[in-house]
This record gives sequence, C-alpha cells and structure tokens, in this order.
Amino acid sequence: METEDYVIIENLRFTRGERRIFDDINLRIPRGKITAIMGPSGTGKTTLLKLISAQLRPQSGCVDVDGKKIYDLSRKELFAARRDMGLLFQSGALFTSLSVYDNVAFPLRVHTNLSEVMIHDLVLLKLEAVGLRGACDLMPSELSGGMARRVALARTIALDPKLVMYDEPFTGQDPISMGVIVKLIKALNDALELTSIIVSHDVEETRSIADYIYVISDGKVIGEGTPEALDASDSPEVKQFMHGLPDGPVPFHYPANELKQDLLGAK
Amino acid sequence: MGRKSIEFAVGVFVILAVLAFVMLTFKVSGLTDYVSSGGYDLSADFNNIGGLKNNAPVSVGGVKVGQVTDITLDPTTFQAKVSIHMNSDNTKLPVDTSARILTQGLLGANYIGLSPGGMPQNFKNGDQIQTTYSALVLENLISQYLFSTSNKKSGSQS
Amino acid sequence: MIKRIQSLGANTLDVVHKIGRAGVMIFRTLVRVPRPVKAFPLLIQQLYSVGVLSLIIIIVSGGFIGMVVALQGYNTLVQFGATSELGPLLALSVVRELGPVVTGLLFAGRAGSALTAEIGLMKATEQLDSMEMIGVDPLWRVISPRFWAGVICMPLLAIIFIAVAILGGYVVGVDWLGVDSGTFWSSMQSSVSFHTDLLNGIIKSVVFGVVVSWIAVYQGFDCYPTAEGIGRATTRTVVYSSLAILGLDFVLTAMMMGGW
Repeated sequence: METEDYVIIENLRFTRGERRIFDDINLRIPRGKITAIMGPSGTGKTTLLKLISAQLRPQSGCVDVDGKKIYDLSRKELFAARRDMGLLFQSGALFTSLSVYDNVAFPLRVHTNLSEVMIHDLVLLKLEAVGLRGACDLMPSELSGGMARRVALARTIALDPKLVMYDEPFTGQDPISMGVIVKLIKALNDALELTSIIVSHDVEETRSIADYIYVISDGKVIGEGTPEALDASDSPEVKQFMHGLPDGPVPFHYPANELKQDLLGAK
Repeated sequence: MGRKSIEFAVGVFVILAVLAFVMLTFKVSGLTDYVSSGGYDLSADFNNIGGLKNNAPVSVGGVKVGQVTDITLDPTTFQAKVSIHMNSDNTKLPVDTSARILTQGLLGANYIGLSPGGMPQNFKNGDQIQTTYSALVLENLISQYLFSTSNKKSGSQS
Repeated sequence: MIKRIQSLGANTLDVVHKIGRAGVMIFRTLVRVPRPVKAFPLLIQQLYSVGVLSLIIIIVSGGFIGMVVALQGYNTLVQFGATSELGPLLALSVVRELGPVVTGLLFAGRAGSALTAEIGLMKATEQLDSMEMIGVDPLWRVISPRFWAGVICMPLLAIIFIAVAILGGYVVGVDWLGVDSGTFWSSMQSSVSFHTDLLNGIIKSVVFGVVVSWIAVYQGFDCYPTAEGIGRATTRTVVYSSLAILGLDFVLTAMMMGGW
C-alpha cells in the first residue's frame, strides 16, 4: 500500500555543537512530484538531505521514507534502502580516479551482479539521458563543471532510484547549463516517475519546475505552498526571500552602534 | 598507467626488496654461520676473558672455525665459563688443545685462538678445553713492567 | 591566569579526544575486513602509489647516507688506525638506526603527506560522502587499502634503503678510500647479528610504518574540508609522524638493547 507522501519528516530536532539547526520541523514530500526546500544560505538545507539519507542522525524525531522508518533499519536494510535513493551533491563529487564510464558504473557494480555487457549498455543509456554518451572515456578532470554535474546526475540515476535529491543544482552555472539542468530535472522526474527534492536558494529557476515549496529559516518552516501561493503570501519573511528584497526581517545592517556614536567616538 | 604496468611495477618493487633482504642476510650479517651443517660444542674456563664478547670468532691458526655462543660466571670457582660452537664436524681437535684469548690488531676485539696439541684422541661434543690462557690486561702488563724495571734498578745498584 | 590553566585543560582534553577518534577510526578500518577479491586490486594500486613512487627518493637518499657515513667514519677511524672497523661502523649504524628512522622520516614526508592530501581532497569534494550515499563504506574502499599499503611498504623500503646505503658505503670505503674489501665484509659479518640487529631493525620499520600510515590516513579523514584545512592536515601529518618516529625509535631501542 503506497503512502501518498514518499518522505515524512516528523518533529525532527538536530543540533551541531551549540547551534540548533532544526527545531521540531515537520515536512511531507509528496510522491512523484518535485518538492523544493529553500531558504537563506547556512540554514542547513544540505544537512536535511543528509538526515533523510541517514548519513546523519538527529537528536530526536523520525524520518519515514517510503513507509520505512530509516533510523530503525539495520546496516543491511539501510544498504538496500540506499539503492532507491540518489543524492546529487553540489560539486558533483565524481570519483577523480575513475573515468566517466567507471563513475556511472560504480553503483551498478556495488549493488548488482550484472555482467559487464549489461552494465555497459546501462551506463551508455544513462549517459545518453543526460546527453554525455560521447564523453564516457574522459576523466573527471577533463570535464567542465556543468558536464561533471551531468555525469554525476547520470550516476545518481544509474540504479533507477525512486527518490532523487538535488543539493544546490543551480549554483554557479552559466545560463545554458542552467537551462540544461532545469530541463533534465523535470524530464527525469516525469519520465522515470521519481520523487524529487531540490534544495536551493535560487528562487527563479526553482519556481519554474517545483510543484511545492518549503521555505526554511532558523530551523523552522516559515512558509510552504505552491509557487503561486508563496508569491501571494503575506508573511514578511517569505516575501523578503521570494522577491529578493535586500532589507526586511533579515536586516541589511549587521548589528552595530548608532552611526553618530561611532563617528563622534572615533574623533 | 594501465593495470598491467602497475602490477608489474609493484612486482618489481617487491622483488627488489627481497633481493636486498637476501643480500643483507648473507653478506652483511653473515647468517651462513648459523646454517652450518652440524658442528659441535666445547667449553672453556678462563680466569679473565678481557673484552671477549658473544659471537666472537674462534680460530685455529688464524682461520675461523667457530664462534663464542655463551659467556657466564661460575658462582663457585669465579671463573668465566665460555661456550664455543665449532661450525663443522670435520674440524677435529686433539684433547690437549689450548685456548688463548687474543686481540685482533692492536685495539681490535678479542677472539679465541686454539693451538692444537698432539694427542691422538679428539674432542667430542660437550668436552671442556683444559689448558686456557686468560686475556692480557693492559694494566697488569704495565704494573709488571714497572715492577720489573724498579727491580732491575735496585738490583743493579746493590 | 585561571584562563591559561583552563585553556591548557581544554587543549589536553581535545588532544585525548582526537586520539580517541583516531583510535575508533583505525579500529573500524581494521575490523571490517573487506572481500579479498574486490579489495586486492585496490591494494595493488596503493602499493604502487605509496611504495613504487617512493623508491627513487629512498634509493637516492640511501646511497648518499651510506656514502657520508663511510666518509665520516673513515676520517675518524683513521686516527686510531682502526679503518678495518669501517664495515661494522657503517652496517651497524645503518641497520640499527639510520635505516628505519631515515626511511620513516622520508616516507612520512613523501608518502604520508600525499595520503593525507589525497584523502582530504576526497573529503572536501564530497567524494567520501557520495560513496557512503551509494552504499559503499569509504573506510574499507579508500582508507583500508592505503593504510595496509603503508604498513607493507615501509619495511620493504627500509630494507632497500639499508642495502643501498651499505653498497654506497662500500663504494666510498673500498673503491675510493682504499679499505680492504675482504676486511670490510668479514668484520661487518662478524659484528652484525641477524637476530638482534637486522630483525630488530625490520621490526622498527614495521612499527614506524603502522604509526605513519595511521597518522596520515586519520589526518586526511578528519581534516576540515576546505583547501586550508587540507594544507594544515598535511603539515600535521609530517610533523606528528616525524615526532612519533623519533620518540618510538628511542623507546624501541631501549627495549631491544635491554634484552626483551
């Protein structure tokens, strides 16, 4: 019996050192749709992805992925669960000692016992999907940043996962590669019936493909809804973020004394 | 670098290390002494062994035939008990062979020199060399010399 | 004043904490023995980059050290008419001390720092994270082969260093300075013991290998994942390894000389 939401995050609390990064947050990621998690830099969006994939453990709360409570899984079960998850890291994180072909083949060789012939076909098909089949013999150092990210995407979907998480996929891309990535995320999500989570602070691009958006700040959800709903939102924090206003709840000025005091005091 | 050439290079590396080890074992540490065929043991008591150490060579006429294997102090006679291993069974020594502690060069290490006797019977494994000469201690030599010179002086005067 | 004592206490606790983390890491690396079929090629690759690529520096250094010891030794021995002892002087100093220690220091500088930088870079570019995400434990795929390669290569390199040093000393002592070849080798053979000298020297190099590899691998794994962090971790590897080698050398020598 498939749940309507692929990922359910309940009462998640996570602290790192002194900082409370997530404070009792609740999120639901619907199946088959593209959900975006947005917010200012440093709010711990990447940490959230790591919590969902069980690379990190929270202090309290639970995460339900496809009906399974992932923090209760044994090592073997977690290994199997990871087969259905893909995480595209911000820098691509290709293995620099392996060629493009071997990078994409890596998850296949780890999780399956397929013959090299079958792996060969699968790898080429995945690379074809991202438009880089011709680059399969290159080494990661010979790729541009955008190409590296696309190869990493091919590696992420190599095992046909059900959930794909994108960590800041639009950051630092030129307009053409940006367009390519946007198109790929949408096309893959629809063609492979994936559930996609995009973590980004790029409002423009994200709004164009996201079905639902969560805005997180200071460890709490400060706004959620469809892109249109958020545009019309009254909340000042959401407004400042969505419209890119320089001053608002997040102040322009770093806390300091009054200007008069500093100028006169210096004299 | 291809897989094959990496494996080849690692193989060469290991072979090089093994060769170096073999060279060290035989040329540098003289392990051949330990892999000798048979041999037999003798012992000898000395009043004073001077600077004789374990593994010091034992020679006959300057040719090394064995080495010192153990040095202990006899608690009753207060003599130094030296155990010797003869490397080859073919080196047969008469039972009246004497052992003397000598020095290699002027400042060199001590070693044991064996002077063969003339008796027909030979040593067997575990026998003890009866006639031994202790090491020459420099201080004794000097005091002997001083004593004999002062003797001569007083002798010639009177 | 109170603050100074406080920070001293905090620093000490920090050091103990770090050693604990290093211990846990190495324990987890050793305990999870990987499948041999998959792990062997990784080990071979690391034996190449750690061992084979260090050969040149080891051989060149060994040659020079042997030559210098022979030269210096000769200059001193000739004053006592004891040049026949050049062989033992060279062999004992190289086999007992210079071989394991200098090889260890060079190894820490060349291979140790390279290991730290490599692992640190993999951490900074999130390769270790993505490996974990795909379901492969980076401890056994990345750390373990490098650690074992270091432990295996150190004694091999030390043996080669010692052999080359003695050959270098032979060239200087016999061919150049005129010490008699037969005397050179025979007095060396009678003073170098296989068990106490050669084997102990090899044991030392194994211990150094374990320590240097452990430090190098841990510093890379635990570093701050930025360019600056990698740089500092690399420096720490070389410094800590060198200090550990010198300290352990004294301890081991005392144990061995004391007749354990």
